[in-house]
Amino acid sequence: MTTRSNAWQQFVWVLTTLLSHYRRHPGQTVFMAIGLMTGVALWTAVQLINDHARSSYADANQLLGAQAGFWIRPKDGKRDGGRDGEGVPVANYISLRRAGFDEIYPVIESRIATADGELVTIIATDLLALPIDSLAGPTGSGTPFSNDLFTGRQWLPLIQPQYQAWYPQSLASQLGVAEGDQLQLPGSKRLPPAIIQAREQQGLRIFMDVGAALSILERSSFSYLAVTKLSPNRRQLLEQQLPESLVLVENQQALDLSQLTASLHTQLTAMGLLSFAVGLFIVFNSVRFSLLVRQGTFTTLRELGVSTQVLGIAIVVETLLWSVFGTAAGIGIGYLLSGLLLPTVAASLQTLFGAIVASEIGLSKTQVLAAWALTLGGLVLALAAPMWTRARMSVLASRSPSEWWRVDERARWQLAAAAIILMVVAALLFPMMDTITDGFVVLALILFAGAFFLPMALHLAILLALSVLPSSSWQARWAVSDAFSQLPQLRIALMALLLTLTANIGVSTLVDSFRYALSDWLDVRLSADLYVRSDSLDINQLRSSTSNKSWLINSHLRSGISTRWQNRPTRIEGLDVSAPDSQAILLATQIPNGFIEWQTGSNETVQPILANEQVHYLARVELNEVVTLDTPNGPMLFRVTGFFHDYGSPYFRFYLPNRSFKSEWPAASRDGIALWIRGDNFAAAEQALINAGAEPGDWVRQRDIRRISLAIFDRTFAITSALNGLTLLVAGIALLAALLAIHQQRLPEYAHWRSLGMHFSEWFRLVAVPLLILVTVTGLLALPLGWILSWMLIHELNVTAFGWTMPMLWSWLPILQLAAVTFSVVFLAFGVAALRVRATLPTAIKQLASDS
Amino acid sequence: MHVILKSKARRAVWLILILCYGSCGYAADSFQLLRSDPTGYAKVKPNREWRFPQDHQPHEAYRIEWWYLTANLNDEAGNQYGVHWTLFRQSLDTEPNPGGWASNQVWMAHGAISTPAGHVYKQRFARGGIGQAGVELNPDGMFEAWLDDWTWRGSSASPLPGELEFEVDNYKISLSLNASTPWVLQGESGYSKKSAMGQASYYYSQPHINITGQLTHNSAPIKLKGKGWLDREWSSQPLAPDQPGWDWLSIHLDDGNALMIYRLRHTNGDHWYSGSWIKPNGASETLGPDDIIFEEIRRTSVQVSAEQSREMPLHWRVELPGKNLAWEVEPLSAEHWLDTAFPYWEGPVEVTGSTTGKGFLELTGY
Repeated sequence: MTTRSNAWQQFVWVLTTLLSHYRRHPGQTVFMAIGLMTGVALWTAVQLINDHARSSYADANQLLGAQAGFWIRPKDGKRDGGRDGEGVPVANYISLRRAGFDEIYPVIESRIATADGELVTIIATDLLALPIDSLAGPTGSGTPFSNDLFTGRQWLPLIQPQYQAWYPQSLASQLGVAEGDQLQLPGSKRLPPAIIQAREQQGLRIFMDVGAALSILERSSFSYLAVTKLSPNRRQLLEQQLPESLVLVENQQALDLSQLTASLHTQLTAMGLLSFAVGLFIVFNSVRFSLLVRQGTFTTLRELGVSTQVLGIAIVVETLLWSVFGTAAGIGIGYLLSGLLLPTVAASLQTLFGAIVASEIGLSKTQVLAAWALTLGGLVLALAAPMWTRARMSVLASRSPSEWWRVDERARWQLAAAAIILMVVAALLFPMMDTITDGFVVLALILFAGAFFLPMALHLAILLALSVLPSSSWQARWAVSDAFSQLPQLRIALMALLLTLTANIGVSTLVDSFRYALSDWLDVRLSADLYVRSDSLDINQLRSSTSNKSWLINSHLRSGISTRWQNRPTRIEGLDVSAPDSQAILLATQIPNGFIEWQTGSNETVQPILANEQVHYLARVELNEVVTLDTPNGPMLFRVTGFFHDYGSPYFRFYLPNRSFKSEWPAASRDGIALWIRGDNFAAAEQALINAGAEPGDWVRQRDIRRISLAIFDRTFAITSALNGLTLLVAGIALLAALLAIHQQRLPEYAHWRSLGMHFSEWFRLVAVPLLILVTVTGLLALPLGWILSWMLIHELNVTAFGWTMPMLWSWLPILQLAAVTFSVVFLAFGVAALRVRATLPTAIKQLASDS
Repeated sequence: MHVILKSKARRAVWLILILCYGSCGYAADSFQLLRSDPTGYAKVKPNREWRFPQDHQPHEAYRIEWWYLTANLNDEAGNQYGVHWTLFRQSLDTEPNPGGWASNQVWMAHGAISTPAGHVYKQRFARGGIGQAGVELNPDGMFEAWLDDWTWRGSSASPLPGELEFEVDNYKISLSLNASTPWVLQGESGYSKKSAMGQASYYYSQPHINITGQLTHNSAPIKLKGKGWLDREWSSQPLAPDQPGWDWLSIHLDDGNALMIYRLRHTNGDHWYSGSWIKPNGASETLGPDDIIFEEIRRTSVQVSAEQSREMPLHWRVELPGKNLAWEVEPLSAEHWLDTAFPYWEGPVEVTGSTTGKGFLELTGY
């Protein structure tokens, strides 16, 4: 009879026996740990960034801790340029304060060009006007003005000449600004001396006192007034007392940001999950090896009378131990990694959506639990399930090599069958895709179908190679058939490699297509040579001056308003229909003669309008459909005659001919003027601009805008290439782990070969060639899968998520680059494995001699 | 009694830091501002030549200055109310004021209303130079002191007669203020010594302000009537380094006399006493340490934040041995702590003894 303590002793003994494997094979243990850690780390990093960004949106209506529930803006939706008559005049603000609205504080938010042509955003407010109640920040890091900040003489210099400009560290590094530096603006203006410190929700913006901003930016008005919170009564009172020119709007920025960025976060999550999956492949690989090595142990334990129940519990405990280790280490690394990746993501979010992401990442209990749950789930799949299957295998069967072979054969067929099922499910789901999450599910199904089919494809490829090789070339045939010996071990690592390569090809095709389309589009959109935004420029003087004939070919004065339509931020712009860039607007679709109809106008009451593709795909407006826009005179109807490309814009945008725009929005401010210059006459143009009242720095050359736009694009997608690179690294580790396992296992075999007189170089060829074949076949399979992935990303997911289309650009250069990198990684891994074989072979030969 | 604590301690801390530590490095005591080095600011000296109404206007060469009104009022049913409204000015540095958005003047205002239902208060801040706050003569030459919509308007260049309007948490108060007696120069002709080390302020008061007005809160206005006291004071260093705070008391006695007494506490227990006795016609007599007995009777627990309470001397014995007069002072309610950037206790008190009366007690540095 077995007592309780005996059972416990037996359990401990079984567990120790099982775990002793990791002590005896430290190399594989390290790889298993690495696989688990990297997988969990990448997933955690992405998750942390996502959660962090989302919580930042919730605070988006905060400025240095003050929560803005409402905004006071000019009624006509004029874009704020700081000119007279734009924004909110200081006098209006003071009157509102003196009327008792102490919920209001002034904000200047301005994007300006530095002398070097960099664009920076200034955010400024009056610290003393920030509503006191809202400044009671949460304890700890949430307190907007940490107490230490205002000790010493830090606060006074901020609001007194020569003032201070607070730069977040990353922005300072980007601009090359050191503490005390004064950023040079065009002309003789400079920003105040730099202080490298960032406050909550400052983002990549330079914070200044509002008095300093008024003076340095030579403004007479605020961008807007922020209003903290208002009871319905106070709101009514405030609306009654607002000057005619101003309007109180509810701040929906947090809502907007969550909406606008949802797709980006889903994409990041998908990449995080892919990394986790690749990490799991490494774990799976190590488990396979450990099973192989521990098979004898299992059988012996069973023969000694250990029940499957005790074995099962031991497996559960082993899994739990690994999950705790993997989660702890993974989260640790993931946290560090997220800190490294965050600036890139934050830059993307700010440039794309204007979303401000705080720089400090916090780790919550939920995140830790989620990571642990995911790790545990992954380990049950990769570790516990295969171990349990093996542990339950009958004692006799597990001793038989033919059973092993059968298991392998069966696994290949099972995987192929699973691949077909996944493919069928994907095909069934494809027409029903509606959201971006649906899209990623279908993508995942296709990717895993490809990965599961890989072993069968490789098997078939080897058979095919054998069938075409002449029987005389025995060395080649031997090499190719050696692939059969390597395949079972390499199977999983190659599946991981396939996933990685596919993701790489798909994502780089997406990014390249986007960059190509954007660059083309910028060429058309930015066809003018100079873009001028100036408060002091007298446009009539500029245009009418006869001397201008020598340099001015054409000009285009745009005007526009910002509004909300279908609950999304929207721009409505008036264009000069005869301007060169208006005539070249890239239309995705139009009704017959839609563009001409838009240019010439209609005799009907419903005027034609052009809308961006986002209006088509996200608001589901069709061609010829009538849309309603709010104008100062009430709702007006317009008929959409065409959709134009508007790459990367998260907003809805409408174009109207200037004439109909002006009649609906007579008070709209000018957006800027574009000038086409004859030849290289920039000096004459710039002189004419100055004569007409513009100031140096009020204009930007086309090539500068183009360069900045593409730089923003590249910065935006830096996160993608970073994640791509990391995933490839993980796949490389998987391959190395697999190769080391194979060679260690096959050492006795190699010893035989060596004793038969085979040279190391011959061995190298014999073992390397099949590996090369396997990797090449994997790479070839990644091509169609990568193509499908990019097609899906560009034609389905991008449209669902962002609402615009672009042509897919399949380019071989990045694929060749990827191939080069992949083979380098493979050879590096193989080289390491081969060196190990070389080092351990003599021992193996001795072992062989003593065995025989 | 229902106490509404608007601000939280943490918020107070940073605002203290904002207001005070532009120029000094102490973090724990908000009143450090009043002790900090006055070098570069104008110095308070004896024998000042007073000029009214000009002296009602700001004196920017001095670091700190205030316009400080307290009032004991009654409604028609005899219920007691307390009103306290203050405007503080600070010069952030010793340079001439560049004005506009670059102004080196900062304003802080406190408004507090004590009703039978409880005590409400609020603090506000504003920078000078932009019209959001200030004390000046309006285009019609009339006195005006304001921060946002909290406004004291005189009907001449003097604050009296005048109108005061402010609102705290839906309690809207509007008062008409009148006085017929002359301004009282405190200390030695308005030179008010605060310690033996030379700390001093310029200090004058109007103790006999007759007030009528009304309080509106959710319902019909409540008519109020009573007596008020205005203190005007400015200095560049009113506190000595070893003075953690003061206890200040103003009393309107029912026989028409008024009394002001303060005690500047020294860490060594050797406190600085001063005061004045003002007759109904406004004639005043300065009281020195030997003329005054100003003693705590007992300490009372006062709620200073949601979590914290502190023992404070709210019950006092006051004697003027030379005049053979003695009183006991007790608060209408203990809960009059203002958890503001400069936290302090300020509330209406009742006086019994030789004569009865009402007044205001102010305790700082606790």
